[in-house]
Amino acid sequence: MKKQFNILRIICLIILASPLGLAWLPVDVFKNIVPSSFVESGYFHSLFLSFRELSITLAATMLFAMLLSVMLGYVSVLSMHVGRGFANVLNAVESIPAILVALFCYAPVSGYLARHSSSASTTMSLLVFVLAATVTTLPEAVRSIAIPLTDLYNQKYSLSFRSYGFTKKRILTVLMNTALMRNTLKRVAAGILLKTLVLDCSFGFIIQLGFGSYGTPAHLSPGALIAAHRDALFEGGTPILFWLPSVMLITISVAFLLMLNDRREENA
Amino acid sequence: MTPISLHRFSIHLGQRVLLRNCDFSIEAGSSTVIMGPTGTGKSVFLKSIAGILPTKIFSFEGDMQVNGFNAYSAGRKLDFRAWSQIEQSGLMFVPAETAQVMNPSLTLDQNLALLAPGCKAVIEKRLNEYFSLDFEAFARLYPDEVSGGEMQRITLMILLSRSGNFILLDEPTVNLDRNLRKHFVDFLNKEILAAKDKTFLMVSHDLDFIRKLTLDQAYMLKEGDIERLESLPEMEGYEKPEAKKGATGTAIELQDVSQTYFKRGIFGERTFTAFKGLNLVFERSTIYGITGPSGCGKSSTIKAILRLMDGTKGRILMEGSDLVALKPGETGSDPASFKPFRRRMTVVQQDSRFSFFPDLSIRESFEQIAAAGSAGTLEELTANLEKVGLTSAHLDAYPQSLSSGEMKRVDIARALTAKPDILLLDEPFAHIDFETRLHVMKAISEYLAVHATILVVVTHEDFDLRYFVEKSYDFPELVGQFTKE
Repeated sequence: MKKQFNILRIICLIILASPLGLAWLPVDVFKNIVPSSFVESGYFHSLFLSFRELSITLAATMLFAMLLSVMLGYVSVLSMHVGRGFANVLNAVESIPAILVALFCYAPVSGYLARHSSSASTTMSLLVFVLAATVTTLPEAVRSIAIPLTDLYNQKYSLSFRSYGFTKKRILTVLMNTALMRNTLKRVAAGILLKTLVLDCSFGFIIQLGFGSYGTPAHLSPGALIAAHRDALFEGGTPILFWLPSVMLITISVAFLLMLNDRREENA
Repeated sequence: MTPISLHRFSIHLGQRVLLRNCDFSIEAGSSTVIMGPTGTGKSVFLKSIAGILPTKIFSFEGDMQVNGFNAYSAGRKLDFRAWSQIEQSGLMFVPAETAQVMNPSLTLDQNLALLAPGCKAVIEKRLNEYFSLDFEAFARLYPDEVSGGEMQRITLMILLSRSGNFILLDEPTVNLDRNLRKHFVDFLNKEILAAKDKTFLMVSHDLDFIRKLTLDQAYMLKEGDIERLESLPEMEGYEKPEAKKGATGTAIELQDVSQTYFKRGIFGERTFTAFKGLNLVFERSTIYGITGPSGCGKSSTIKAILRLMDGTKGRILMEGSDLVALKPGETGSDPASFKPFRRRMTVVQQDSRFSFFPDLSIRESFEQIAAAGSAGTLEELTANLEKVGLTSAHLDAYPQSLSSGEMKRVDIARALTAKPDILLLDEPFAHIDFETRLHVMKAISEYLAVHATILVVVTHEDFDLRYFVEKSYDFPELVGQFTKE
């Protein structure tokens, strides 16, 4: 029964997160499903591009932020002095709203973005956004790894394992590979994805409202698409232009929330 | 409403039957204890009533009703909604390792607000009255800043002061020293058992403790069956195991040792002195016992000898070498000059579940431990497991599938297999029933007869002092007045 429930859960997660994968299919695939006038419109093209860019942003941020979080979390527990230093810096970063961090990160490259071609500008914009998203997600991610790891080491395993002659470094490496820490890392990854998704869309929304299609940075995002078609809700508009990306974003968010809430039954 | 009713209920752990076709019920307002040998499944039974046994590891048969609600039906554990109803009906489970219920990232005050909302005043009063503990002094501390004994007292009081009508209490005396145990008996008799407004179901192996409680009935769980006892078993017939001694001579000398540690406070970290002016000599082939109230520094002394603490001052001499000078602080690795001493020391820590890798079997863990140093061979471990009343089958078990008492014995067997020169045992017999305890004591005494070892036992229990320890020290007397800076 439990196995069937788990399979059902995984299927649900795949369905909910599917917009990120479907965006990479050739547009022609949808010609038989969706009215051709809609498929051939610029909106459909923008929808695909925005979700493609979102999936790249999410994947890149998750990989980069997870790598940094695991490293910083591990080092923080390994050395209390280093850990305290990191904690002070990360606490300071956390006190600044994420959207301001993102805007701040764009400031040094705004000239480059304005001067260069569309593809170079998009690549740079993506890199800067991944950096900004990583910075904003890092404090919580590092804390989420360091707290259970510290607890496992200091409260539980350090006395015995150190007395066997294992070094702290080796004990922490072993503990990082335990089922408990693997589940923690999975939840941290889901948290990073969710936070990045929210930041990406709100940032895209604000950039679209502030600069329209002429401004920099060239941040293609479902949030920007929603902002661009916010008038669709008014009389005479086509509400689906607003609701389609909105609903897709909601389903992806629900998938990440489900992953975040995946707390496996702990052993007695 | 019957608080607990079992109909042909069974609990299986793999092939092992822990409870067999059991029909059992208790009346509302009654007080009951379930006794039984270590590893027989007492705690597992209690946890099945609390609904916290993982169905991935344990399987069930038959029916169980808790507080009038179906909890298990035809061997199937009911869903979250059904268990929520049971929780809300007044079920209160108090685990043996009470400290585990505390969230490590919250202060004790925040934990209290989460676990027992609206009960702070009564908890403060009871802690003060029965355990002489001022909760306000601990309120802003985090769980890792409080000693095991203090934590046990605070969490016990928090968990037992919640509002509810059915208390499940699992081995409550494990970390309580002798003095506090008396106060805890007073507390249970006066505040919990006297009013008879709550149903009380406890599992314990501690006969001394059980005898002092005003309980209505006692049961024995043995080999999967629960049998009602007409009277409590007598403690007569226990004989102190005899073993001939190896070589003698001074082995470890503590000279003017003091231990400080850091505590977080609202104005940053502060230095606290756990103890100072400790002068002590441990000779070989003698079983030394260290007793004293919780939090007085007994476990810190063990850690200081093992050189796993910062802030140790004074001299710890072993064969002319000062261990403090060789390793002044704990940096996560040992200097080369200290490594020969490390190989000669073994500890059995308070909670033996954390002496083996969490996701590996005992056999796999032991192979890794053996690879790290001189831990002995698998054959020697198997022989020692048999001496402490276990079998080679336990080698393939995982830590989470063994009871606390079984883990303790596996850990002691592991420690003896390492053939240590210095054997430090921190509450080594907690969770082990008295009969099994004597087998374990005999195994240690036999080891001592062959190896002239320095053996130090930190213990709270009268039984250990009476039947095992040869020379006991009261820790507060050794270090004079308990001081804080």
